[in-house]
Amino acid sequence: MNFVPRSTALVTLNLIITFVIAAIGFGVGFGQGMLAQEVILYTIISAAVLFWILNYIAVIYESRFQADKPADSAESAVGVGSVWRNNRVLIIAMVLLLAVYLIVTGAYPPFRSIYNLIGFLVLEVILIFAFKVSNVFVHGRSAFIGLIVLLALIVISAFTIVGFLSPANIRAVLLFASFLGIACIGQTMVALMGGLDLSIPFLIGAANILLLYLVGLGVPPWFAFVAVIVLGCGIGFLNGIMSYKLQGQALIITLGTGFTVTGLVQIITSIGSAFAGNVFGKVPDWLANLAAMNGKFFGLAVPPTILLWIALSIIVVIALRYSAYGRYVYALGGNRRSAKLVGISELKYWLLAYIISGGCAALTGALLLGWSGGGFIGVGDPYLFTTLAAVVIGGTSLAGGYGGYGFTVIGVLVLQVLSSFLIGIGLKYEWQQFIFGILILPMVALYSRQPSIRAQV
Amino acid sequence: MAEVRSPQSTYMLIPILLLSILLSIAVIRGPAIVTLEGLGSAITVAAPLCLATYALMSVAIAGRGTVDLAVGPLLAFINVIIVSLNELDLVTSPLGVFVLALAIGIAYQVVFALVIIIVRVQPIIVALSGFLALSGINRVIMQRPGGTAPEWMSTWGSGSTIFSPILLLLVIATGGWLLFTLSPFYKHLRMMGYDERAAFTSGVRGNLVRVGAHVISGIFVALAAICYTALIASGDPTQGTTISLTAVTAVVLGGISLAGGRGNVLGALLGAINLFLIGYVLATFNFGSVQAFVTQMSYGLILIASLLLTLLVPVVGRHISFITPFSAFMVLGVVVVAIMLTVGISMPEGALPVATTNYDLLPTPWTAEIADFVPTPLQKVMMVALAVFTLGTIMMRVVVVEASARRFGVFGHALVAGMLFLGLAVVALYSLPSSGGLLK
Repeated sequence: MNFVPRSTALVTLNLIITFVIAAIGFGVGFGQGMLAQEVILYTIISAAVLFWILNYIAVIYESRFQADKPADSAESAVGVGSVWRNNRVLIIAMVLLLAVYLIVTGAYPPFRSIYNLIGFLVLEVILIFAFKVSNVFVHGRSAFIGLIVLLALIVISAFTIVGFLSPANIRAVLLFASFLGIACIGQTMVALMGGLDLSIPFLIGAANILLLYLVGLGVPPWFAFVAVIVLGCGIGFLNGIMSYKLQGQALIITLGTGFTVTGLVQIITSIGSAFAGNVFGKVPDWLANLAAMNGKFFGLAVPPTILLWIALSIIVVIALRYSAYGRYVYALGGNRRSAKLVGISELKYWLLAYIISGGCAALTGALLLGWSGGGFIGVGDPYLFTTLAAVVIGGTSLAGGYGGYGFTVIGVLVLQVLSSFLIGIGLKYEWQQFIFGILILPMVALYSRQPSIRAQV
Repeated sequence: MAEVRSPQSTYMLIPILLLSILLSIAVIRGPAIVTLEGLGSAITVAAPLCLATYALMSVAIAGRGTVDLAVGPLLAFINVIIVSLNELDLVTSPLGVFVLALAIGIAYQVVFALVIIIVRVQPIIVALSGFLALSGINRVIMQRPGGTAPEWMSTWGSGSTIFSPILLLLVIATGGWLLFTLSPFYKHLRMMGYDERAAFTSGVRGNLVRVGAHVISGIFVALAAICYTALIASGDPTQGTTISLTAVTAVVLGGISLAGGRGNVLGALLGAINLFLIGYVLATFNFGSVQAFVTQMSYGLILIASLLLTLLVPVVGRHISFITPFSAFMVLGVVVVAIMLTVGISMPEGALPVATTNYDLLPTPWTAEIADFVPTPLQKVMMVALAVFTLGTIMMRVVVVEASARRFGVFGHALVAGMLFLGLAVVALYSLPSSGGLLK
């Protein structure tokens, strides 16, 4: 494969784009008051890299175009008309964004800053990428879009929020991402099989107070920790076996076990206590260190939970991709009947997915106890839909068979960085929730559309 | 040999069984529920849940796993909008409030349907999106519960009489759906929910039908929100999640399939009533500080149990196919009415003791004077024998009719409905001491 497109028009276009963006970077660099040498160096580097990437993309497009249309090149009309026809939605979206930007800039003087201009350009670039370039990546298209959005979010946040890239903030974002990420392991597994698990938030809350209660009773903390996780696996097993018998009702079954478990655990912890529903006690030091913001890992100022999440992620991703277990999960999620005929035990893998889900939820609850230092049943409530949202934003199909934990990691990071950004610009939790809700739809719509009913007949 | 009945109605057996058990316990434990006031307030409290359940039902039938989890936040959204606009003196008249509520409900549901149709993402994702967005915006509009409902609503929520406007709304909604089921549109809806491809190939215009189902759902949500506003007489942005989860539970308890195609309004109604009764019954047991947790656990257990019971339905349907939901409803109805009568007779005038001892199934024994009418032992035996004979004859007749005919005749329906109505009326009159018992 060569690295320069054959058509000179494309090369010129790439050059122009590169120069414009490099010029913007140049101006911004001086605007920031950096050293002239640094500005020039960075500009040259970025221009070169950008030019190379653009050419690379152009080459891919050229070869694809030639592969798609071998003979009838006479029919493919060239010109403004075909450009409009092929890119209608993209052009309308870009023009709308431009209009919004111009109106806001015109109407609201404080908005006229270089950061907002950059933010605007980044959004336009995201649009182009999302519509055009992502088609190149047939597999992992959602991951690509997710990564671009994540990158754009980080860039915008870094420009608009003071201290966004400070170690403390990065640590906080990663820590919360770890809690969400660990809770999402199970949800991803279950979604890959075509199920759903809504009991996760209830299990988190129940594990949270049960662990503190057990520690308060004098059970050795490590034993209580393990016991809570095993209990979580047990609940997962129940979920699995019941939802296997009642196919398609996983949502309700898991909701029912969730209600039952929280009710039961609260009753147990309330017996003999004057404060119904509240559990008091001392969290063991090692558990607090495990998950607290100022936790240390062999002297490193990194909460061990983050490392735990990274380790678990690597294990899960590798297991899903390379082990027989992982391949069977995909096979079952993709086409259950065929997988069964090949001789894969459906029940076994279905159960395993739910057991992992229950265990991960309990683990998250236990870790959250270390983070907060006090038991609270409502600690899982925010996870009711965020686990689902992270899985869906990452690109794992809820119908099963497509996706993976790597995608979910991207989804989790997008959610956490976005949340941190929204907090940074001073929005309250309610607004964050609103914006999450509004954003999920377009993100999913970009890559997870179902075929039309006409195509299914 | 009677043929196997369609599973469509056999699934109603579970809610009916549950209803009779719960109603019996409720009457024994807290007889106040069968007084006029008790029924009135029960209707007021249960109506929002019933209507929210209808809303879920009408989209659940449309298939594709449409579980509109956003129904609770949407209800809360309409509630806060009504209350906020009332505070600002913008919309206060009944007409204005109804138009506003219906417009919001329908608009949201139409957008929901259009997103499913045009953008073609899974409905559960759209519901999730709507849930987050609406829960967020509710808290933005109104930070904490407060405000006052429009003045004309104040008499609605008092629940001092059975025939409140809320009952009227509920009856209109139920009747409206029953009328709707007569239309071919409903047949298309069910067909689409059951098998969308088959419906498409046989010419059902799926998109139109889907939008229609969502519009109906929007109307139900709006009515639910109005009832809810009347009930709490203020705005509450925080209850959305609870309402959603409860309504989903009620839908399942009512034997409605979330996979689409199966479900009817009576099931939804029974499901919601069952859920209300669970709460009522549990409230008569005094669990002290853990009351809320016991209620939550019971919801969960009953939800799971009723789902597991649906596994038995095909087996039951195969072996005892002559039991149709209607005959079950009748038999159990007679039993419950009998229990009501017993409780009503054994109760002295003016005293409606709610069981106060923990974990007793029977009401507190009373020590006051017996009412005027005291039958002699012979009279008692005669009365019981007569009642048993009558009931037995009718029952056997009904069983024979139902086992041999595919349709239950108009006469049977009228007879049974009349008997049930009579029984209920007697109980209602009995249990209301101020109106004077029949035997006086």
